[in-house]
Amino acid sequence: MAAAGGAWETVIGLETHVQLRTASKMFCPCSTAFGAPPNTNVCPLCLGLPGALPVPNELALKLAVRAALALSCTVHPRSLFARKNYFYPDLPKGYQISQFEQPLSTNGALSYLSPDRGVATATIVRLHVEEDAGKSLHDRYPKQTAIDLNRCGVPLIEIVTGPDFRSPHEARAYLQTLKQVLEYSGVSDCDMEKGSLRVDANVSVRRAGQTALGTKTEVKNINSFAYVEKALTVERDRQIAALEGGGTITQQTMLYDSKTNGVRAQRSKEESHDYRYFPDPDLPPLVLTEEFITEQQTLLPELPAKKRERFVAQYALSVTDAAVITAERAVADYYESVVHAGAESKTAANWVMTEVLADAKDHGDALRVPPGALANLIGLVQGGYVSHQAAKRVFAQVAERGGEPRNVAEALGLVQVADTGVVAGWVSEVLEANPTEVTRYKSGEVKLLQFFVGQVMKVSRGKADPKLVQKVLEEKLAA
Amino acid sequence: MSDPSEALASAKAAADRISKAKRLNACLTPVKELRKSLVAQAQAAHPSGVLYGMPVAVKDNICTLEFTTSCGSRILGGYRSPYDATATAKLKAAGALIAGKTNCDEFGMGSSTEHSAYGRSLHPFDKTRVPGGSSGGSAALVAAGAVPAALGSETGGSVRQPASLCGVVGIKPTYGRVSRYGLVAFGSSLDQIGVLGRSVHDAARVLSVISGRDPRDATCEDRDQLRLPTVPESLQGFVIGIPKEYFPADLDPAVRRACDRAVRLLRELGAAVREVSLPHTGYAVATYYIVAPAEASSNLARYDGARYGPRFNGSEDVRALYRTTRGEGFGAEVRRRVMIGTYVLSSGYYDAYYRRAQQMRALIAQDFRNAFDRGVDLLFTPTTPSPAFKAGEKLGDPVAMYLSDIFTVTANLAGLPAISIPIGRVKGLPLGGQIIGQAFLEDEMLEAAYALERVVPATEEA
Amino acid sequence: MSVTPDDVRKIAGLAELEVDEATVPALAEQMSRILEYVAQINAVPASEGVKPFIPGPDAVRFRPDEVKPSALAFGPAEFAPAFKDGFFLVPKLGAFEEPEL
Repeated sequence: MAAAGGAWETVIGLETHVQLRTASKMFCPCSTAFGAPPNTNVCPLCLGLPGALPVPNELALKLAVRAALALSCTVHPRSLFARKNYFYPDLPKGYQISQFEQPLSTNGALSYLSPDRGVATATIVRLHVEEDAGKSLHDRYPKQTAIDLNRCGVPLIEIVTGPDFRSPHEARAYLQTLKQVLEYSGVSDCDMEKGSLRVDANVSVRRAGQTALGTKTEVKNINSFAYVEKALTVERDRQIAALEGGGTITQQTMLYDSKTNGVRAQRSKEESHDYRYFPDPDLPPLVLTEEFITEQQTLLPELPAKKRERFVAQYALSVTDAAVITAERAVADYYESVVHAGAESKTAANWVMTEVLADAKDHGDALRVPPGALANLIGLVQGGYVSHQAAKRVFAQVAERGGEPRNVAEALGLVQVADTGVVAGWVSEVLEANPTEVTRYKSGEVKLLQFFVGQVMKVSRGKADPKLVQKVLEEKLAA
Repeated sequence: MSDPSEALASAKAAADRISKAKRLNACLTPVKELRKSLVAQAQAAHPSGVLYGMPVAVKDNICTLEFTTSCGSRILGGYRSPYDATATAKLKAAGALIAGKTNCDEFGMGSSTEHSAYGRSLHPFDKTRVPGGSSGGSAALVAAGAVPAALGSETGGSVRQPASLCGVVGIKPTYGRVSRYGLVAFGSSLDQIGVLGRSVHDAARVLSVISGRDPRDATCEDRDQLRLPTVPESLQGFVIGIPKEYFPADLDPAVRRACDRAVRLLRELGAAVREVSLPHTGYAVATYYIVAPAEASSNLARYDGARYGPRFNGSEDVRALYRTTRGEGFGAEVRRRVMIGTYVLSSGYYDAYYRRAQQMRALIAQDFRNAFDRGVDLLFTPTTPSPAFKAGEKLGDPVAMYLSDIFTVTANLAGLPAISIPIGRVKGLPLGGQIIGQAFLEDEMLEAAYALERVVPATEEA
Repeated sequence: MSVTPDDVRKIAGLAELEVDEATVPALAEQMSRILEYVAQINAVPASEGVKPFIPGPDAVRFRPDEVKPSALAFGPAEFAPAFKDGFFLVPKLGAFEEPEL
């Protein structure tokens, strides 16, 4: 995809912060639960009170290792916590406990499907652990900033890519794959709306063919996947316009404003980037045993790409269908349960992609029909017990109120009539009522068969098994 | 003591004694509040605790639910901690009474208690002199007989140095022996809570109670409470090293005489004494004054007037709030150290200063290890280069004040335990001698201290 | 090692410390004196490749992922200098705009 202006190449790197799924915070036993009244999930440490000390959360470290392994990183058995020193109202200690030199893991990679160039690999330069900051609310009270420290101390992993992406679209595709992998691994729910996944981007442009990187800017305040693409596009265009106009790019932070779909430079003091990192003297080195790391390796589920491949091979699905079904782990697992309960794999896939996902979307992602029930229902359709249309109604009922599909079908009066005698009666009725069409059929207009089928369905109020109807019609018309 | 009436009597008597010592400006808690609290505490204390009814004063930089925790600073003026430090909680669990908060150099930064925002503390024997610092208030109170023991804290000798100047016992435990949870951090890799007491026994008892594992401090080792040794009959079998770097040619002759006398007594007690060398000693103060301010600059970043403590003017924007609060709330010495610390961590200087200092520290620690590996059990040195100096004497040149830590900082840098006990008088002023022990072998160090304490003529001129 | 008045202002900025302009020269001098003194550790060549010394445990201990009730005897409403509707209040950011996480 050519960048605006024709001869420019865009270079994008992404820094993603992901909240880990733990009950308590990274360095203190406060709850991480979202939505609590302000400043109620707090303690001496996350309030930054004098004398408080951090102690790391074992599960957070396990999840961080698992995420690192899911991204094929090298996990370092020994790493150090470091203090990142800066002043801001939502940072109560005046420093963030993070990792700098000697991070938890480095050198990973993530394959994703780039819309521009097919399968591409993003390099994961590093994945390290750190704590989240609190929240500052600037518009709640006039002339004041309100601070809520509930979020302060929630465990985060920071995932940094190289300057690997060549378009905003591509960056977004990577991000969606990253979210999927992390969600599969059970380390985070990666919800941008809730703030459990946040992304900052580094953007620069250069003339196509140039090898040196242009001056980059950092783009922040991107709050959804859609805005990722918009924000990066806007910044890329801004840079190109500036350079084409003979100007230069200043290295600075740009804030994205979704309301105006624009970016503006953040006013910040010159010294703001000297974080004076040093190893945190309150935390001895983070040493992970081989068992600790290998345990996380065994807890890694089959990751999306592998699962997709397997579904194509094992269930004879198309790549597209497999991609849809494996987009979320819960859905993929559900699908497999349906197949293991006896449903034919392609039929099951269709049902999952249509009825199941549609129902889930309207009901908070819940997969309401138990896999066994769906398998049963599919079997009923297969056996001609109900028509496909009728089965959809049964599905809806089971989703809403539960029950056995067969019983529900009967209760709703949806069971198809497959009794040849009864069907023959309806067929005769229809043939008698439509003599002209019969003559026309017999003289060669065979496509009228569908007309007859339709009439029989009407007369039977949809209850006749259409396949049987067709068979009987063919027999009678041939006579 | 096992009787609530005894505890109550102890509480009231302590309040009386502390009140009488008011002129020393050692106790920051108003007497009325103190008395009321001590009585209430006596009534609530655990009668089966090993320190039941014992009044223990606590340095102002250790968090207590009782009284204020202002760290000798304006920036925490009036601040009441909503939680107890682990050491405080352990004292209470043992039935001790928290007998007020003691004056100190601001945030522990100083060697004279002249850098307190609440006025200097006086030396109990000579009001023109300093009691040392930063735990000067605790030392003065113990020396004045107001309390049998008090908690202090060490980063570069701030328990041992005032102990030496005031003529009391001061113990610094091995780094990681006592939980730092609730000790307001200054130099995190150096800080330890220590104890001042009228005798080795009093100080050691209290140290034992406050020691031991704490899951809330990741730097606190997973060990049981410190075991107290019995007083030995002799020091037969002990090998005591005398590091020559601690006895430079220009050492005050009176200090040398006092130490020589103490060493002779150690020999008479049966210890083998030999000279050793700790060659990197000369770099210790410089190393310390890089590491400690660096860590302090980060530890003190939280004091900004936003969430607790007083605010000083500066309401235009939040940065003005920070700058004014910190500019006015911190005293000159603290501001200076925060600036030095910020400098040595800043981009371009980190390697040459902070990283280098941490490496230097390894060499200093190695010096001790070498001495101990060669068969030495303990080291004996002077605690301070001189007895108590006059107030104002060392305020002109910051480095001059730093050099009064010359014999004490090494133990903090190496994380080793050390104790100062009174070993004599110099023109009527007390002087301490120091025993440095091996990591987590406080019991051996205490044995030697007990034995020496019994025989040394602590109140005699050297 | 000489610290200039500009260095002093820059460091004071990083440390969010207001310094009285009149004291800047004296402060520069004091800091120079101190830094000159401590810089002597660079005279020791042996320390080049040595591993830094950290006292305390060799490896950090973890805690289990358990939520525990707050260790506070009283909450922020009691000790905060400005508190409203459960929030800490500080003056507006003004020119002080830092990147948020």
